[in-house]
Amino acid sequence: MDPATVGLVAFAAVIGLLAIRVPIAFALAAVATLGSFVVFATRTGDFLPARAIRPTTSIVFSNSFDLIHSYDLSMIPLFIALGHVAYRADITTRIYHAARVWLARVPGGVAMASVVGCGGFSAITGSSIACASTMGRICSPEMLRMGYDPRLATASVAAGGTLGSLIPPSVLFIIYGIFTETSIAKLFLAGILPGLLSLAGFLLVILVWVRRDPAAAPAWTGEIPPGARRAAAWAAWPALLLFGIIVGGIYGGVFTATESAAVCLAAAVLIGLVQGKLTARSLLEALRETAIQTSSIFLIAAAAKIFVAFIALTNVAPAIVEAVTAAELSSAVLLVAIAAIYLLLGMFLDPIGIMVLTLPLLIPLVETYGFDLIWFGVVVIKLLEIGLVTPPVGLNVFVIANVVGDRVPIDRIFAGILRFLSVDVLVLVLIVAFPIISLLIPGAA
Amino acid sequence: MLARIERLLLDLSVVAIAGLGLLITASVVLRAGFNSGVPDTVVMVRELMVAAIVLPLAAATTARAHIVVEFVAKRLPVRVQGALIVLGSVVGLLALAPLIWAGWREASHALTSGGFFFGQLNLPKWPGRVIFLVGMAFCWLRLLLLVIGDLRRLSAGEPVPGTSVPGAMPTGESIERAVKPR
Repeated sequence: MDPATVGLVAFAAVIGLLAIRVPIAFALAAVATLGSFVVFATRTGDFLPARAIRPTTSIVFSNSFDLIHSYDLSMIPLFIALGHVAYRADITTRIYHAARVWLARVPGGVAMASVVGCGGFSAITGSSIACASTMGRICSPEMLRMGYDPRLATASVAAGGTLGSLIPPSVLFIIYGIFTETSIAKLFLAGILPGLLSLAGFLLVILVWVRRDPAAAPAWTGEIPPGARRAAAWAAWPALLLFGIIVGGIYGGVFTATESAAVCLAAAVLIGLVQGKLTARSLLEALRETAIQTSSIFLIAAAAKIFVAFIALTNVAPAIVEAVTAAELSSAVLLVAIAAIYLLLGMFLDPIGIMVLTLPLLIPLVETYGFDLIWFGVVVIKLLEIGLVTPPVGLNVFVIANVVGDRVPIDRIFAGILRFLSVDVLVLVLIVAFPIISLLIPGAA
Repeated sequence: MLARIERLLLDLSVVAIAGLGLLITASVVLRAGFNSGVPDTVVMVRELMVAAIVLPLAAATTARAHIVVEFVAKRLPVRVQGALIVLGSVVGLLALAPLIWAGWREASHALTSGGFFFGQLNLPKWPGRVIFLVGMAFCWLRLLLLVIGDLRRLSAGEPVPGTSVPGAMPTGESIERAVKPR
């Protein structure tokens, strides 16, 4: 069996194992190890297993250990810790509370505040699922209590939660940066405008929805105490400070992305302790959650790194590049095909799983076509965001469904999501058609 | 006993994460304020990263926090789902075994050769490699115990943790458990 065939069989094996619920990390590592062993053992034409043991274990160890033994990637545990600490210090939800007070009189104001709150939450935590989970617990029950259309009350938070992937810091951008060897700081900056564009699009959807159907969001008739607006805006300063440190520090060249993660974490702990919102116990709990979450993510990343090394051994990526270039596909057709693959996979797979499965094959192809890898990263993350809310397995939708329980059937949430999806697709088209949207800020930095 | 060791490893990982944050912040503050720095920060952060990531693996395995795709499996009968969960753990045992073997080789080589990182402090290479081996080995042990426990449950006709009613769509709870483990 030639190496390229081994590579293709390995891909099929990974997909088969994932389908039968084998954990992503184990599926990738097992197939890559076995595949590397077969390639090394059959290199001379005969099957010589004894010769394959040492190079296989070397490739397995060096790729996984070198990934973990990294200074730059320490930003992943630090950003995850920042999210957990900021949540416990009551920093992440204050932007929502501020927006909630300021938009109280606006039709659909709570739904809008939820989306703005999701944007603010994302600017600190970097996780779409965590964003949907936390904001869903606060916003959706409140909207349902106020008599909002259940579709709007749930879909707005499910869609808003996806902002966590684009607005920096984003764990998905970091993982993309690892596999494409692109600057994570530039990826963070590239995500800002597309993230804000998506946020504005979601607000527009709510505005149009409520204009057409005022009953979908009953007006709030309560009183706002004097000074409440100013107090709510002032209370949001820690969230704005942390976002300012991340973006301003990176943009201004004061910090690297890794340093901004550490400084933000230190600042969040200090703010939490000084304001009395954080205790030693809650800090310990936050760091324990960080440890388990980080180890799960890195186990997948390490396994994917082994898989990438194995794919390089098989030469399957150059074979695919050759086949695609021989077919003389235009850039536009290639992009449509890539988008279709991501949207299809997004219906069934988790975003990290999709990235580690597809990037080893796609990046050589994308480089051959001369696409900018920073811009392509934004396109990929936007596609993954869309996958988080598309049926049948939109992870964010299921998170919200779990929060609201029997009050809103899942098909109603998906029905509400369709309007937000249309804006998502529009934003995607804009990002693809005008790369400047992604490249303006990193280019100016 | 193993649960206590897992908790200890988890807490050591917490110390490592706190150490990462403190080291990098201190180095930024010293650079900005005193035009100075912590010697060999990069090496220390890299070694701490190994502890932060590998030591909680056993605890993550106990919490069944490894990320899986449930779309197809959730539609199968509970007993088949249980068998697939066991299969997933067996694949994990097979996947980790070469890593442990190679980790053993690397750790023993680092210990016997006295290798060190070039820098101001000439820090030894063995701690990161030994921590890697310890974390992977305890994860493997926990996986083995999960396989044995789940097989017992299967043979007794009990559902394996993580299975759900056939045909049910993945629940938010199970997704959150997988993506954002407790």
